[in-house]
Amino acid sequence: MNNIKLNETPVRTSRNFNINNIKLENIKVPEQISEFENITITGDTSKTNIEQNANKIDLVYGLSKDFINQVNTQSNQKLKLTIDSKKNSQTQMEFNFDEENNTLVENIEIIAKENTRSTIILKYLSEEEVEAFHNGIIRVNAKENANIDIILINLMNTISNNFIAIQNTLENNSKVNYYIIDFGGKNSVTNYYSNLIGENSQNTLNTIYLGKENQLFDLNYIAEARGKKSNINIEVQGALKDNAKKHFKGTIDFKKGCKKATGNENENCMLLSDTAKSIALPMLLCSEEDVEGNHSSSAGKIGEKELFYIMSRGFEQKEAMKLMVRAKFNKILDNIQNQELKDEILQEIDKRID
Amino acid sequence: MSKTKLDEINRNIYDIKNKDEYDFKIKKGLTPEIIEEISKQKNDPEWMKEFRLKALEVYNKLELPTWGPDISELNMDEIATYVRPKTGLSNSWEDVPDDIKNTFDKLGIPEAERTSLAGVGAQYDSEVVYHSMKEDLIKQGVIYTDMETAVREYPELVKEHFMKCVPVYDHKFVALHGAVWSGGSFVYVPKGVKVDIPLQSYFRLNSPESGQFEHTLIIVDEGASLHFIEGCSAPKYNKVNLHAGCVELYVKDNAYLRYSTIENWSKNMLNLNTKKAIVGKNAKMDWVSGSFGSKISMLYPMSILNGEGAKTEYTGISFAGGGQNLDNGFKVVHNSPNTSSLVNAKSISKNGGKCTYRSLVRINENAKNSKSSVSCESLMLDDISISDTIPTNDIRTDEVEFSHEAKIGKISDKTIFYLMSRGMSEEDAKAMIVRGFANPIAKELPVEYAVEMNNLINLELEGAIG
Amino acid sequence: MVPGLFGNLKNCQINPEPLATLETLENLAILETLNSRKEIEMSNKLLEIKDLYVNAEEKEILKGINLEINKGEIHVIMGPNGSGKTTTANAILNNPAYTKINGSITFEGENINNFKTDEIARKGIFMSFQLPEEIPGVSVTNFLKYAKNKMTGKPVKIFEFKDELKKYMDELNMNPKNMDRSLNVGFSGGEKKKNEILQMLVLNPKLAILDETDSGLDVDAIRTVSKGIEMFKNDNNAVLIITHNTKILHSLKVDFVHVLVNGRIVKTGTQELAKEIEENGYEKYKKISAQ
Repeated sequence: MNNIKLNETPVRTSRNFNINNIKLENIKVPEQISEFENITITGDTSKTNIEQNANKIDLVYGLSKDFINQVNTQSNQKLKLTIDSKKNSQTQMEFNFDEENNTLVENIEIIAKENTRSTIILKYLSEEEVEAFHNGIIRVNAKENANIDIILINLMNTISNNFIAIQNTLENNSKVNYYIIDFGGKNSVTNYYSNLIGENSQNTLNTIYLGKENQLFDLNYIAEARGKKSNINIEVQGALKDNAKKHFKGTIDFKKGCKKATGNENENCMLLSDTAKSIALPMLLCSEEDVEGNHSSSAGKIGEKELFYIMSRGFEQKEAMKLMVRAKFNKILDNIQNQELKDEILQEIDKRID
Repeated sequence: MSKTKLDEINRNIYDIKNKDEYDFKIKKGLTPEIIEEISKQKNDPEWMKEFRLKALEVYNKLELPTWGPDISELNMDEIATYVRPKTGLSNSWEDVPDDIKNTFDKLGIPEAERTSLAGVGAQYDSEVVYHSMKEDLIKQGVIYTDMETAVREYPELVKEHFMKCVPVYDHKFVALHGAVWSGGSFVYVPKGVKVDIPLQSYFRLNSPESGQFEHTLIIVDEGASLHFIEGCSAPKYNKVNLHAGCVELYVKDNAYLRYSTIENWSKNMLNLNTKKAIVGKNAKMDWVSGSFGSKISMLYPMSILNGEGAKTEYTGISFAGGGQNLDNGFKVVHNSPNTSSLVNAKSISKNGGKCTYRSLVRINENAKNSKSSVSCESLMLDDISISDTIPTNDIRTDEVEFSHEAKIGKISDKTIFYLMSRGMSEEDAKAMIVRGFANPIAKELPVEYAVEMNNLINLELEGAIG
Repeated sequence: MVPGLFGNLKNCQINPEPLATLETLENLAILETLNSRKEIEMSNKLLEIKDLYVNAEEKEILKGINLEINKGEIHVIMGPNGSGKTTTANAILNNPAYTKINGSITFEGENINNFKTDEIARKGIFMSFQLPEEIPGVSVTNFLKYAKNKMTGKPVKIFEFKDELKKYMDELNMNPKNMDRSLNVGFSGGEKKKNEILQMLVLNPKLAILDETDSGLDVDAIRTVSKGIEMFKNDNNAVLIITHNTKILHSLKVDFVHVLVNGRIVKTGTQELAKEIEENGYEKYKKISAQ
C-alpha cells in the first residue's frame, strides 16, 4: 500500500487550493508484474504494422517519475504501431482485466507516417469483482499531413485503478483527434500532453467522464502551441453522482512564435448529487501576442426548466436525467463514426447512471 | 492634529539611540528582542506585544510560497533589514528615480504632495481636509483613526477583530506582518449609518514608516454602508522594497462596503499584500482594484461569504509593463445558501510585462442556491509580453450556477481598421480600445480617481504602441 | 430618374465625343466656356477608380474595376455574394488586409492608393461597415465626439454636440439611451446599422460608402436607413451603396447602378437596371462575366 503524489500541473498555484497534484492513499502499486495476455487486436495489418516492441521514453510530463519508470522497466505489454496507409485504417485493441490478468503496464507507441489516415481504438474492460491495476503510456507521433483519431475507452469497474499518460507530437499540417471516454476506475488519473510543433497542426481532445460512488477522476490536460496557425480544442463534458469527484486541470500554453494560433477549452460538469465535487483549473498561458485563446468552465446541476420540460413529456425524473446527460455527451459522441462502439458507450452511460 | 502626527514620527519605533548596536542585533533573521523593541516603541498594550511575539513564532515556522512569481530577490535571512528604520536612511529628493519625478509632472501632482509621496518630505498637512470630514461623521459615531491610536483607544473593538479575519498562519508574510505591523487605518461605522462620502486613506499612508506593513481594519456594522479608498494613482516611492500590508474588512449583516484601490507603487516594490473580507447575512462587499505599479505583485483580495444571501463583486485591472510581474486575482468562498459572487478581471501586458490572473472560487457543501460568475480578459500589446490565467474552481455541491470565462488575445486588426476609418490614427485607435477595455474599472471609481487612472493608462501607453 | 447633368453622362462613359467635335469648330468662345465647364466637372469629380486589381489573402478578387463618382450622385454597386463588393469598399479605405496589385484610386484629384485608412477618412471618405466592430467601454457619444474632433481638427462643444446627436437619433428612430452605451456592444443588427448611419450624419463626409447597410434589415429599418441617406445627401457630396439585393432601392432614388460580377463591373445603368436584376437575378451577368 502506497501513498502517492501524481500528475503535477505545469504551473503551480496556491497549495491551499489542493489542485497542483493529486495525492492518493493506500494504492496498491504492484511490485511484481505478472503476464497480461487478454488482448484482442483487430485491424488491417497491411495498413498498420504492429510490433511487440516499443522504445523507452522519458515523458515531458507524465504521471510521476516512478510511474514512467515502471513502464520503462516492467511493462508486460509493448506495442509499436506504424501506420502507413492513406486510406483510413482502423485498429482496435481491447484489454480485458480478469482474475489472472489483473495488472497491465503497457507502453504503446504509435507512429502515423506522412499523409496517412487512421483510427486507433483502445478499450479497457474489467470483470466486476477484479481489483485491477493499469499503468499505461501512449505516445503518438503524427508526421506531416497525418490525420489520426484515437478513441480511448475506459470502462473498467469502480474498484480498480487506472493510470494513463499520453504524449503527442504533431508535425506540420497533422491532425490528432482524441476521444476519451473515461468511466471506470476507483481512481482514474490521466496525464495528457500535446506538443504542436508543426505549422497548421490541429489537436482536438474530446472527453466525457461519468463518475459514481466514490470514484475520483484526475484529468491533467496540457497542450502547447508552438507552430504557426496551430489549433487546440479541448472539450470536456462530465457528470458526477453519489460521492464522485473530479479534478480537471486543462492548460493551453501559447509558446512564443505560435503566431495566429488559436486555442479553445470548454469544460462543463453536471452535478447529479449534492455530495459530488468538481474542481477545475482551466489555465491559459500566453507568451505570444497574435493568438486567440478562450476558455470557459461551468458547473451545476441539470437545469430545472429543462428537466421539467422533459418530464412533462412523460419521462420520470431518472429517465429525464439520463436523457440530459446523454444529450450533453452526444455532442462529443457524434464524432465517433463507429456506430457499434457508440451504442456500447450509450448503454454504458445508462447502466452507470441507474 | 498635524502636530499629533509629527509626534508620531518623532516617536518612530525604529529611531533607536544606539544605531550600531541595533544593526548588529538584527543581522540575521527576526528575534523576539527586535519584536519586543518594536512593541515598546509603539507603546503596545501587553496583549499586542504577546500577539506580535506569537506571530513571530508562526513566521519562523512557515515556508515561502512554492508557487507564483519568483521572489528570491528577497533575502529572507536578512529580513530584519526590511523592517529597519527608514529614518536612518538618508532620503532626499535627489535620490528619487527620474521616472517617478516625471510621472508626478505628467499627472500634475502638487509640489507639496510629491515630496510626501516620494517618502522624502515632511508630512503633507492633509489633516485639515480629513478632519472636517471627521467632524461631520463623529456625530454619527463613525470612528476613523490611525491603527495605533485605535489599539489604545478602542481596545475591545480591535481585540475582537484584529487578525481574526486574516489569521497570522495564512502565509509567511502575514505572519511577518503580524509581528512588525505599523501604521494604517481603523474605521468603524455604527449600525445603520450610511457614510455617503468616500473615506480615503490617501494621505494616511505617507508617514515614513507606513505603507510598508500598514494594517487596515474596517468594521461596517449591521445595516451600515461605506466606501473606502486606499492609495492613489501617483507612484509612491520607497527605498525599502517590501510591502506586506494587511487589510481586514468586516461587513456585518445587511451592511455594504466598497473597497477601492489604485495601486501604483514604484517599480522596485515587492507587493505582498493580504486583503480579506468577512461578509454577513444579506451584506455586500465590492472590491475595485487597479494594479499598475510594483515589480512583483501577489495580491488576491478575498471575500468569505458567511451570511446567508451575502454577495460580493470584484472588478479589477492589472497593467504590467517591462520588468513587472503582476500576479493578481480574487478569491471567494461561499459558505452559506443563496450567496453570489461576480468577478470581472482584466489585464494588459506590454513591453515584456507579465500579468497573471490567479483565483479561487469555492462553493462549499452548504452553499445551496449560490451563484458565481467569473469573466477574465487579457490583452497582449506585443509579442514579448506574457499573460497567464490560472483560476481554480472548486464546486462542492450541486445546487449552484457556476460559470467561468476567459479570453486572451491582441487587439483585433478589424477593430483598428474600423476606428481608423473614423479618422483616428493607429495609435489613437489602440489607446481608445485600451481605455475602453479599462473602462469598467474606471466606472467604479470616483471621478477624480477615474481621471487619474485614465491619465495613468495614457502615460503607460506612451510609445508602447504604434 | 435619369440624371440630367452633362458631367454625369460623360462620367457614365456614354458619350465623350462632343468636345472633340466642337474643337474643330475653332469656336474659341464656346471652347472657353466648355473648358471652364470642364474645370467645374473636374472639381465635381470626387472619386476615380482606374483599372483596380485587388487581392485578399493572396486570392485575386478585383480584376480591373473602373468607377467615377461625382458630387451630387448616388451610385449603387450590386452583385452576387463573393463578387468583390466588400473588397471594393475596403480597397478604397486601404484596409491592410487587402492588397492592391494594380490600378489607382484618386480622391479629389489626389492618388490615395497608399494613404493610411485614417488619412483617407480625414480626406472625407466614410464607410459604413457590413459588420460594425464592438468597442467595449467606449460610449457612442464619446466615440463620435472623439472621431468628430479628429475629422475636423477642432474641439467639439459637448452640449451642442449632444443636441445634434439627439436630433439625428430621433430621425433615425434610435433609442436615446444608446448614446451612453458602449459602441455596438449588445446592439441588435438593426441598431448597429442605424448607428453607422448616425456616424455618417455626424461626421458628414464628402463620400459615404455604405457596405451592405441594408442587409439583414426589416422594411421599417431599411426605410429609416434611406431616410438617413436622404438627410445626408446634398449637391456637394456623394453616396456609394454596396448591396446584394434591391430592397433599399424601393425607398431611395439613385443615379447609377453598376453590376459587379466576378471582380469586374459588367454593366452600368440607371435605376431601371436594378429593377431588371430584381426580376431576373444575376444569371445573365454571370454569363457575361464568364465569357
